[in-house]
Amino acid sequence: MDRRTYLGTVGMTGLASVAGCLGDTLGGGTSDTVLEPPEQQRGDPLYPIHGDDFPEFSVRDPLADEMLSLEDVIDERPFVITYFYASCPDGMCQQLLQHLRRIQADALESGYEDDLALLAFTFDPDRDTADALRTHGERMGIDVDAGHWHFLRPEDNETAKTMLKETFGLPLRRNDGESTATSDNESTDADSAYTFTHSALVQLVNERGIVERAYPKAATQRDAVNTQVMVDDTRTVVGVDE
Amino acid sequence: MRRRDLLAGLGSAGVIAGGGAVAAFGVPSPAAVTEQEDDGDDSSGIVGKQHDPYEIETVDAPGSEAGTVRVPTPDRPTFVDFFATWCSPCIKQMDALATAHERVSDEVVFLSVTTESISDAELRDWWVEHDGNWTIGLDPTAELTSRYWGTPYPSAVSIDASGTVRWSDSGVKTADELVAGIERALEASEPANGAE
Repeated sequence: MDRRTYLGTVGMTGLASVAGCLGDTLGGGTSDTVLEPPEQQRGDPLYPIHGDDFPEFSVRDPLADEMLSLEDVIDERPFVITYFYASCPDGMCQQLLQHLRRIQADALESGYEDDLALLAFTFDPDRDTADALRTHGERMGIDVDAGHWHFLRPEDNETAKTMLKETFGLPLRRNDGESTATSDNESTDADSAYTFTHSALVQLVNERGIVERAYPKAATQRDAVNTQVMVDDTRTVVGVDE
Repeated sequence: MRRRDLLAGLGSAGVIAGGGAVAAFGVPSPAAVTEQEDDGDDSSGIVGKQHDPYEIETVDAPGSEAGTVRVPTPDRPTFVDFFATWCSPCIKQMDALATAHERVSDEVVFLSVTTESISDAELRDWWVEHDGNWTIGLDPTAELTSRYWGTPYPSAVSIDASGTVRWSDSGVKTADELVAGIERALEASEPANGAE
């Protein structure tokens, strides 16, 4: 607790000043990270958090039509990842993509788009085909053809669920039919009658494959977790000079 | 489940909250616990914050002229609704926005902002279809939306004449809720209160 209190006062200012020291142990975090441990402790979730190794994976990028592994992605650059499905009826997944969309815009504006990868893993590949993902991404305002953008699409929903749970440590529950329809849910079509109960997680991982920050419940903006915090943290980890 | 249903407008329906956190805290319903922090007073986190005016483009549409607007507009209370045309609750929100606009348009800079990269014509069609009649602003890089926590859609903020956020809320709001939120910015903008 003492350490956390101390770090709390140092805050982001300290981090910003060392933003250029990528991969350097002088960088404010623990020896493996640039960012300090989060101020709020969130227990010990199954998914990797600050300081943990991001799990190995190999999933197809359906737009590039090639397999992508953790090594391919990090290859000397950090990445930001979220987990979603395009038919998400309540705006939650759209919100997750909006975080990444803003990070992409900032990267393009500030010229660090080649120093970063953005990953969006669908756990509904049966409906999220390559074409559907392209359409959805573009609708979200994302430049899906930017070299740093990768949808990750397992071959089918069963594989996706297993991978989500066993590789990424995230629970997933499929809801068929009526029960999940909410009063605000107007978008349940006949052919998209199932929804998912899922986590709203965004993670920032450094170029060595170590998680710098996990942003849980990222569909709701608040002081600790909001788009700007993610942009600022990403810039720090990438080492963007102000 | 009932609680989640209520939160649907916030875009939080169906959140598990991360199973690990659940186990670690050892509480039966961590979703409720963590969500409380977020929706207890749904937006105090952004209220009180201040950002420099940011200029965005406006679109030629009913009630809206092509040009630019600064958000917040210096020395004026400013209200911003953040929306997207693909967002169905945003359609539902339009009636209340229209009513609120009628009631306060003399006193506040009132606008709806989207980050979408669709054509002005598409945007105009949507606007006409849903009876929009006030300024539409464009935020193609989501910079403004990010500053004011404008997602999930629809979200709204009211900012007083000094540039301080006085109210914000996510999800579909009634006209009364919108006006009450705008009034917080108006009250804070009165010379007696707003002099700094």
